[in-house]
Amino acid sequence: MIRPPRWQKVYSKLEVDFSSKKRERCCKLDINAPDANFWDDLETKIMECIRNTLDRRIQFYEEEIRKLSEQRFMPVWNFCNFFILKESLAFMFEIAHLHEDALREYDELELCYLETGKQREFGGVEQGDDQATLLEPARKPLTQIVHDDSFREFEFRQYLFACQAKSMLPFCMREVWVITACLALIDATASHYKDGLAAPDVEKEFYRVQGEIYTLCRTKFMRLGYLIGYGSDIERSPVNSASLSMLPWPKPAVWPSLPSNASSEVLAKEKMILQDSPRPKHFGIQRKPLPLEPSVLLREANRRRASLSAGNMSELFDGRPNANDSSGPLSPLPKVNSVSMSRTFSSPGNFEGSIDRPMRLAEIYVAAEHALRNTISDVKLCESLSSIEEFEQKYLDLSKGAANNYHRSWWKRHGVVLDGEIAAVYHKHENYDFAANLYEKVCALYAGEGWENLLAEVLPNLAECQKIQNDQAGYLSSCVRLLSLDKGLFLTKERQAFQSEVVRLAHSEMEHPVPLDVSSLITFSGNQGPLLELCDGDPGTLSVTLWSEFPDDITLESLSLTLTATNNTDEGVKAIKSTEAIVLRPGRNIITLPLPPQKPGSYVLGVLTGQIGQLRFRSHSFSKGGPADSDDFLSYEKPTRPILKVANPRSLVDLAAAVSSALLMNESQWVGIIVRPLNYSLKGAVLHIDAGPGLRIEERHHFEIEKHEVGTQNMTNLDNPPENLSPVSTGVKQLTLEDGKIKLPDWTSNITSVLWIPLRAVSDGLAKGTPAGFKCLRLLRRTIAVHFTDPFHVSIRVADKCNDGTLLLQFLKDAGTFRYEYKTDRLSIKVILQSQVKASLAIYDAWLDLQDGFAHAGKGDGRPASSFFPLIVSPKSKAGILFSIYLAEAPAKDEAKELQPVSILNIKYTICGSRNLGAHTPVAEELSGPDNDKAEHLTFRSELVLQRPVLDPCLAVGFLSLPSSGLRVGQLVTMTWRVERLKALEEKVASDNLDEVLYEVNINPENWMIAGRKRGYVSLSTKQGSRIEISILCLPLVAGYVRPPQLGLPNVDEANISCNPPGPHLVCVLPPPLSSSYCVPA
Amino acid sequence: MANTACFMIVSKNDIPIYEAEVGTVPKKEDAAHQHQFILHAALDIVQDMAWTTSAMFLKAIDRFNDLVVSVYIKVIHTRLMLLHDSRNDDGIKSFFQEVHELYIKTLLNPLYLPGSRITSSHFDTKVRALARKYL
Repeated sequence: MIRPPRWQKVYSKLEVDFSSKKRERCCKLDINAPDANFWDDLETKIMECIRNTLDRRIQFYEEEIRKLSEQRFMPVWNFCNFFILKESLAFMFEIAHLHEDALREYDELELCYLETGKQREFGGVEQGDDQATLLEPARKPLTQIVHDDSFREFEFRQYLFACQAKSMLPFCMREVWVITACLALIDATASHYKDGLAAPDVEKEFYRVQGEIYTLCRTKFMRLGYLIGYGSDIERSPVNSASLSMLPWPKPAVWPSLPSNASSEVLAKEKMILQDSPRPKHFGIQRKPLPLEPSVLLREANRRRASLSAGNMSELFDGRPNANDSSGPLSPLPKVNSVSMSRTFSSPGNFEGSIDRPMRLAEIYVAAEHALRNTISDVKLCESLSSIEEFEQKYLDLSKGAANNYHRSWWKRHGVVLDGEIAAVYHKHENYDFAANLYEKVCALYAGEGWENLLAEVLPNLAECQKIQNDQAGYLSSCVRLLSLDKGLFLTKERQAFQSEVVRLAHSEMEHPVPLDVSSLITFSGNQGPLLELCDGDPGTLSVTLWSEFPDDITLESLSLTLTATNNTDEGVKAIKSTEAIVLRPGRNIITLPLPPQKPGSYVLGVLTGQIGQLRFRSHSFSKGGPADSDDFLSYEKPTRPILKVANPRSLVDLAAAVSSALLMNESQWVGIIVRPLNYSLKGAVLHIDAGPGLRIEERHHFEIEKHEVGTQNMTNLDNPPENLSPVSTGVKQLTLEDGKIKLPDWTSNITSVLWIPLRAVSDGLAKGTPAGFKCLRLLRRTIAVHFTDPFHVSIRVADKCNDGTLLLQFLKDAGTFRYEYKTDRLSIKVILQSQVKASLAIYDAWLDLQDGFAHAGKGDGRPASSFFPLIVSPKSKAGILFSIYLAEAPAKDEAKELQPVSILNIKYTICGSRNLGAHTPVAEELSGPDNDKAEHLTFRSELVLQRPVLDPCLAVGFLSLPSSGLRVGQLVTMTWRVERLKALEEKVASDNLDEVLYEVNINPENWMIAGRKRGYVSLSTKQGSRIEISILCLPLVAGYVRPPQLGLPNVDEANISCNPPGPHLVCVLPPPLSSSYCVPA
Repeated sequence: MANTACFMIVSKNDIPIYEAEVGTVPKKEDAAHQHQFILHAALDIVQDMAWTTSAMFLKAIDRFNDLVVSVYIKVIHTRLMLLHDSRNDDGIKSFFQEVHELYIKTLLNPLYLPGSRITSSHFDTKVRALARKYL
C-alpha cells in the first residue's frame, strides 16, 4: 500500500478539526488536472452548500416563529421577540433576493401586530414624522425603538410599509419620478412666472433654480438613456462624466430580466453596439473616454440578478455575442434545475432558473427598456426614450433649458459648460456652424480663466469644426492655442499633429491670409548677461533668445524684431531683420541678427514678426527665461529690460604724440603716435597718415607698433630698468604702409599702443605737425603736432678783443648776426651751443666756413682754437666753442660769383637718445653699406652772418649824467646830451662851416613831460671835434625805473651815430616828496 | 484623512494658480478633469456667496453627489477651494487657515509674481503635509 501523501494527512487533520457528523464542512479539490467539468462541479457544490445553509437557517427560524406564534395569546408573550425573529427572517430572504418571501414575512408581521392589539399612541412626535419618508427606511433606527419597546404606531407602520414597498418598487422608479417631477415643476413655475418677476435678485434665483432642476432632470434622463443603450450618444464630456459617474446605479431589488420574446430586440441592440464605434477625434487624439457609469453596468446588472452563477468572467464582460454563444439568451442549464431551491411560496421573477447564464450588455439594455416601459406612465417620457432620435431631441431640449436658465441667472460657468454639451450634439449632427459658435464660447471662458485642462477637452472639437467649415484663420489660431497649452495635456504625437497642421496651412494658398499671433508659442528675450552696448553709428550683431514651444523644428522663412527706443517715443520702432531662413528647434534658440547703426538711446525688444511659409506671424511676449511657465496672460506685467544701448557720440580713440620734446630736423626720426582706444575695440581699424607740409614719410622703412607702457618715459633714466620693460610686453611688430594706410593688428585693438612712423622733416623751419586720420568705418581726424628742431641753438659772442678797448657790440639777431663798431685785427668768436633735444649729443668735430671778408686765425683750418673733441653735451645744457678769426681784405666787387654771404658753422656729432623721450639716432639707412662710420656722424650746419665793421661813425651822442640828487616826480630836471662830430663832414664844407643838425627828443608821454622844443635844428660845425650840447627841461610823471627821453638825429644814418650809453637804459625816478602843508595843525 | 480631496487656489482673475490632489485614493486617470470641472463650476456659487457673507470660510457651498466644495475667500479675493468627501469641518477650516498663512508667505517672496502659478515645491510639500494632518 502506498503511503498517503503528506497533504492527505493535513487534510485529515482539518477534517477532524472542522467537520462534524452533522455538517460536512471540508471539501477536497484536486486541481492538478481539472477537467472541463471540474469548475461546474465546484460551483454546484458551493451553491449546494449555500442553499443547504440557508435552508437550515430558515428552518430554524421558522420553527422558532411557529413556536412564538402559537403562544401569542399567552400573557408571557412578547411582541418584540416575535418582531425580531420575524424581521430577521424577512431580512434573510431579502439578502437572498427572495423578495416575495420577504414580503410575505412582513405581511405576516403586520397581521400579527394588528391581531395582538398592541396599538399605541398615534401621531408624529418629532419634526418630519408627519412626512412620508418612504425612500428613507433608515431614517430612524427602528430596531432600537423596538428594543426599547417605545415605538409608536405611525413610525412602526411607516417602517413596515417602507419595507414592503421596497420589495415591490418598479425598476428605476426613482429616476422616472425625478424626471417627471422636475418637468412638471419646470412647467408649473415657468407658467406661473411667465409674466415677469419682481426683483432682480428673485429673478436671478428663480432662473438658477430652474437651471438646477433642468440639470437634475437632464442627469436622470441621461442615466435612463444609458440603461437602455443610448450611452454611445451621450458625449463623454467632463460634465456628463462627473454627473453620471458619481451617481450610483439604481438599486432595484432584482435587476429586470429579459422577456422571453425579445430576441429580435436584443439582436437590434447588438447590432447597434457593433455599429457604434467611437468617433475618432481630430488630430488623432486618443484618450481613454471619460466614464459615464459609476461601475461597469454589465457587472452591476448581473450582480443584482437573483442567484446568478458567478459564471465565466470572460463571458460576463464580453458584451458582444460571439458566434457560438448566440444560440439563445434563455437556456438554463439542465443540470442546474436539479439543485434549484424548493421554496414553495416564493416565485419571484426568474428565481426558478436560478443558475443563469450572465446577461450580455444588449440583453441588459433590452431588459431595462422593457422594465422602464412598465415603470413609466408618462407618455411623453416614454416617447423620448423610444428611439435614439427622440432621446437626442429631449436631451438637447433639457441641455438648452439648463444652459439658458443658468445664463439668465449669471451662472456663466454652469451655462457655458452646457453650451458645450449642446455644441457636441450639433457637432455630431454636422451642424458645424452652430457647434463652432458654442464651442467658441466655452473655449473663451476656459482660456480666459486659464483652466487649461478643461480647455484641452474642448479645443480640439472647436478646431475640427473650424477645419470643416474652412475657417482657416480660426483653425490656425486654434492650432496655435492647442500648441500653447501645457505640454502635459497632449502627447508629443498630438502636438506634432497640431504643428503639421499649422505648417501645412502656412504653405498652402490661403484665401484670406491673416497674421497669426504666436505670442504663446514663440517667446523671445534678450540674452542673459549685460546688454549690448554700441557706440553711435556702429553696426552690431544682436543676439536674441527665442523659445519655441513647437514640438518639432520649425522653419521660419523670415524673421524680424522691432526695437523700441525707451527714451523717445516719437522715433517710432525700427525693425531688424534676418534675411535667411531660421530653423527653430524646440526649446531655447539663440539667433543673431545683424544690427544696422542705430541712433543713440536704449532700446527694448518690441514685436517679433516673421513668416512661416506664406503665413505672417507676430509675437508680443517676452519669455521669462524659461520654457516652464507659459502664462502668457501674465506677460504684460513683466518689466522690459533694455537689450541694446547706443551711446551718445563720443570719441572712440585718442591719438597723441608719444613724445613732446623736439626731434632732429633733417634726419629721419621715429615719430610715435599713441593710439589709445577709449573703451572701444579698434578691430579692423585703419590708420591713414598724411604727413604735413615739409614732412616726408620714410616709406622704405617699416612702421613699428608696440604696446604702450605707461611710465616707460619716466623710468628709462633710472638705473634699474623696471619689469614692465621686459621684452614680452614691449614686443615690437613691424607694419607696412600701403597707400598711406596702416591696418592695425588685432592684438592692439583693445590696448594702448604706440605706432612709430619714420619721418623726416625736410624744411629748414619748424615742423608743422603730422595730421593723422583715423579711420574705423567712421572717421576720426586728428592732427598731431610734432616738434622738430636743430640739435643746437647757436649764439655767438665776440669773446675777446685784441687791441681796442672801446668795442661796442650790438646783437642784432639771436641767430648770430652781429656787428661791431671798430675795426679790429683779430677777434675771438665764442659759439655757444645750447642743446635743444632730450638726448645727449657728442660733438666730434666743428669748423667754421667763414664768409668773405673774414679769415681764420691760427692754423687756418677753421677748427676751434683748442681741440677737446669729443665734446659731450647733455640735454638742455650749453657748450661753447671758441673760434679765432680776423678781418680779411674785402673781395673785389667783380668777384661776386664767389661771394659767400654767410659763414657756416659745421658740427659733426652723434646723438644718443631714446625715441620714447625725444630726439634719437636717425632711423638707420638700410643702404648705409660699408661707410657706417660716416653715417653715424651727423652734420649740423648753422649759418652765421658776420658783418664787416662800420667804418665811419660821424657823430657821437652822449647822455650827460643827471644831477646826483636824483629825479623826483614833479621836479623839473634838465636833460643834456652832447653831440660831437667825430669826423669832419666833407660834403658840406663848401657851403658853410655850420651844418644844421636835426634833433628830436623821443619820450614816452606817460612818463615824461617836456618843456621846450622837442624837435629842432642845431648848428654844428663841420669840423672834427666840434661839439654842442642840447638840453631840454623835463618833468618826470611817474616814479620808478623808466626810460629817459632819448635824443635822436633823424637826418643822420643810424650807422653813423655812436651812442653812449649804447643801448636803451633806465633812470630811477623817486616818488614826489611828502607834502606837509596838509599836516600843519590849525 | 479624506478619501478624495482636491485642493485648488484660484487667483482673483479666476485662474487656477495651484492644484493638488490630496486625497488618499489615487486619482483615476479617466476622471482626470472631473475635480477641476466641479471646482470650476463652483466658482459660480462662490461668486454669488462672496457678496452675501463676510465670513471667509464658506463650508459646503456646493455638493456634487458625494463630494462637497468648501471655500476660503481671502481679502484679495484669492480663493482656496477644496473638493472633499469628508465632513470634518473643523479640520478643513484649520487646513484653510494654515494654507492661507503659507500662501501669504509665498506672496512675500519677492521673486513670486502675484497671480502667477505657484511652482514652489516647498509650498507643495507643505500643503500636502497639512492635508494629511487636517483632512
